[in-house]
Amino acid sequence: MRIGIVSPYSFDVPGGVQNHIVDLAEALIALGHEVSVLAPADEDAELPPYVVAAGRAMPLPYNGSVARIAFGPVSTARVRRWLARGAFDVLHVHEPLTLSLSLLAVLSARGPVVATFHTAMVRSRALAAAQGFLQPVVEKITARIAVSELARKVQVEHIGGGAVEIPNGVAVAKFATAEPLPGWPGQGGALGFLGRFTESRKGFELLRTAFVTLARERPGLRLLVAGPGDRDDLYAGIPAELHPRVEFLGLVSEPDKARMLRSVDVYVAPNTGGESFGMILTEAMAAGATIAASDLDAFRRVLDGGRAGALFPTGDTAALTGLLGELLDDPGRRHELAAAARTAVEAYDWPSVANRVLEVYATAIEATDGRVFDEEWAEPRSGS
Amino acid sequence: MPRMWWVMGVLAVAAVLSAYLAWTAHRVERVHVRAASAGRALDAHLLRRAAAAAVVAENTDFVELYAAARLALDAEPDEREAAENDLTRQLRTVRLTGADPASRTLVATSRRVVLARQVHTDLVRDALTARRRPLVRLLRMARHYERPRYFEIVEPDLPEPLTVTPRPAPEPPVPVST
Repeated sequence: MRIGIVSPYSFDVPGGVQNHIVDLAEALIALGHEVSVLAPADEDAELPPYVVAAGRAMPLPYNGSVARIAFGPVSTARVRRWLARGAFDVLHVHEPLTLSLSLLAVLSARGPVVATFHTAMVRSRALAAAQGFLQPVVEKITARIAVSELARKVQVEHIGGGAVEIPNGVAVAKFATAEPLPGWPGQGGALGFLGRFTESRKGFELLRTAFVTLARERPGLRLLVAGPGDRDDLYAGIPAELHPRVEFLGLVSEPDKARMLRSVDVYVAPNTGGESFGMILTEAMAAGATIAASDLDAFRRVLDGGRAGALFPTGDTAALTGLLGELLDDPGRRHELAAAARTAVEAYDWPSVANRVLEVYATAIEATDGRVFDEEWAEPRSGS
Repeated sequence: MPRMWWVMGVLAVAAVLSAYLAWTAHRVERVHVRAASAGRALDAHLLRRAAAAAVVAENTDFVELYAAARLALDAEPDEREAAENDLTRQLRTVRLTGADPASRTLVATSRRVVLARQVHTDLVRDALTARRRPLVRLLRMARHYERPRYFEIVEPDLPEPLTVTPRPAPEPPVPVST
């Protein structure tokens, strides 16, 4: 199949949507499809061979953060040229309702369009207000994908119609084979946390309190933290004598993230809410870590109802402390949970996820021109 | 020369209006063509599902499933929805392992039925929304197209996709001796 994918955000800055697009494109290419990705980027930017640069991106504040996007007549012309040259069987746009290349591509598209919705804003006034104007855009989208139950709900409420839920994939092999950091996890037990520890909904405070309690009783216990933030903020809430037992990695690259997740006995996700899917959990599962997570809907679903990771009542520090103590004392249980996690994460491996996306592509193509694929629809058809 | 400005203005308004009408007519055409295509695709996938179910029923001597599959394949248009619902109900009682090609085909076709139905429902809704617009009703732009209709069946189950590439389980990190 010839597939055109449009990224609304620039690859110059890392982000969830960009990572998703790169992994999806590579998985599709590995399955034998022709893929071209259009993304805002400078002409001289270093890009993977399948990415086409659509020109410089403009910083624009959106949804609480700064997105670098491209929009305007120059971008429109480039989108049209890319579409004309690509002759794609299907066009796959991400976040099509933002002012971006994705929106331009939908407006210029003639064939089947598949759209993926990542955002899980609970209510977007902008979207609600723009509903009438967006109808011509929505109308051109043939099939919709939402990456989480929450994203699907938002989508259904705001623009009507359904969406197929296909979770974010995870490159299982990359995580499963990463080398643990030197000296980790060590003999005394190691806990891990990754994320913005200053943000209260990530729940780091719970873990910090639990760690301080546990570390007093367990002389070898250590804590490994990675994520954006200031070193001093991290150490501020921890008694000075425990500082040597807390290691801070700062913002880590993707390969280092995998190594970090392989370096801990228990990965802790103490989030108190707002997590739409729990991407980090599937990554920890792929890395073979034992997981202790808050009992949020999304986490429970990813962790197979608690079989692939231990759950504790959201926001309950005492319960977290107790659970971590139990897990640290019981290597057998940890092993069991980690083994169940590795089985459960197969469903999130990129080849599996890419195949589910391909089913949606086929459905969209059929609904646009009435072609119906036979059994071997996943194979590239001759003459295309 | 105020008269010329008047003429220019009227011409400009007429041009914009006709462009808008043409665009709207094109939109109406597109949503109807798509809803019809999606309907054909859904029909094809339902037939494939029924055929696959019949093969699985034959292999496993499951009489009720075979009967439901035959009825779905032979149903008259006005009995189609009920027949497909019966087949969906029978399929719920079958545990598909994906061990043999017939059950793999049945899993694949059942998944495609769910996706095709979802897309068909969305496209029919778009078409009906377009038909309700005042301008479209006033100029009877949709009169050449048959009114699309929802295919009202119970939501079929979406079976888990069969694993694509079984891979060996990765090594766990070195367990800590406590």
